[in-house]
Amino acid sequence: MSQRNERLRQPDVTHWLIHHAAHRTPESLSSRLEEEWLADVESRSSSWSRLRFALGCWWAAMVIVSEYPRSRVPAASSAAAARGGFITLVDRNFGYFSLRSGTLFLIAGLHAALFYVLITTLSHTHGLATPPNLENHPVNAVPPEKLPPPAMEMKRWTLDVQKLVVDVPPKIDVEEEATAPVVEQSQEPYTTQLPPETPVHVVQRVGGGPGAGFPETADFYPSLSIHLGEEGISTVRVCVDAKGRLTSEPTTVKGSGNARLDEGALKLARAGSGHYRATTEDGQPVNSCYAFGVRFQLKK
Amino acid sequence: MGKKDGNVRMSLQTLRVLEVFLENPTERFAGAEVHQRCGIASGTLYPILLRLESAGWFVSQWESIDPVSAGRPRRRLYRLTSTGLRRASEVFASFNRGVLA
Repeated sequence: MSQRNERLRQPDVTHWLIHHAAHRTPESLSSRLEEEWLADVESRSSSWSRLRFALGCWWAAMVIVSEYPRSRVPAASSAAAARGGFITLVDRNFGYFSLRSGTLFLIAGLHAALFYVLITTLSHTHGLATPPNLENHPVNAVPPEKLPPPAMEMKRWTLDVQKLVVDVPPKIDVEEEATAPVVEQSQEPYTTQLPPETPVHVVQRVGGGPGAGFPETADFYPSLSIHLGEEGISTVRVCVDAKGRLTSEPTTVKGSGNARLDEGALKLARAGSGHYRATTEDGQPVNSCYAFGVRFQLKK
Repeated sequence: MGKKDGNVRMSLQTLRVLEVFLENPTERFAGAEVHQRCGIASGTLYPILLRLESAGWFVSQWESIDPVSAGRPRRRLYRLTSTGLRRASEVFASFNRGVLA
């Protein structure tokens, strides 16, 4: 039903468009062009194509009007057209403003108008608008209210302070990664009345490490790592007594990125127990914890 | 903008229309047929046909049929004149030489 209505309506639209387009042209051409265009539109099959053709005829009429001004077009009788004689028309001659240049000016004008509107709109937005004048109004600071001091009853107190004696806790080994001066703590009990000129003794501490008879790293190089060409440095932390023996299980401080190498380094650290060089304080070996690196590197 | 050749402005669309007629110089074509052959829209095609006709390159005449018996309106047929054939040939020959006439 709708298709039928469209078919009935479509020719009317195209014919109406062609009729009015043709009648925009000079009189000498209007009847001819209307008949010609109405004949040619019949060759179009689809309604959309017919509509496009009719709209094109409107454009053609505008071009023809601009190219053939009425005053300069000689009258072409319909009888002459029926005879088939060609119409002698002068070519267009209407100054500087042709249809193309007019269209160009129109488009340029539209762009200019759009640009103007865009700029005008942007300048009125809140983000770009000029802020209003700002004024500073100093506020008088309110002075703090002076409150009267609370009424206090002055009393005279007498305290009997006894002499306080504090025992120093036993010395605890502190992890030392490198030789550092340590302020010796007084072995004598602290009292509240310290002598003003207490002498400060700096302990000369020398960090320990793998000592004589320490196993060779190559003996603990994992065979699979040798086969795969794996290399790296694993940092191991050990706690050693004064005789160079391990007092606890070695741990990995910084891995090499390879679990096999790290395990090899721990095995080396365990095997080295008794061959560590103990940390010394003032030349005396003491218990201490320190870290050292184990480098697994293949010979080139 | 095309270059004027006598009274005819030589645009690309004009050349395409001329090419259709030069392929069959003795045949007559309606505007609808020219559209089918070169694909130029009606808004451009008919001003070109009128322009070439007014310049004497084309002549046009109504199709000699009886619309009632044919069941369709008569069409306007265009064909090249001898002048149009010569001038159009010169234009395309100048393209072969690399110079627009």
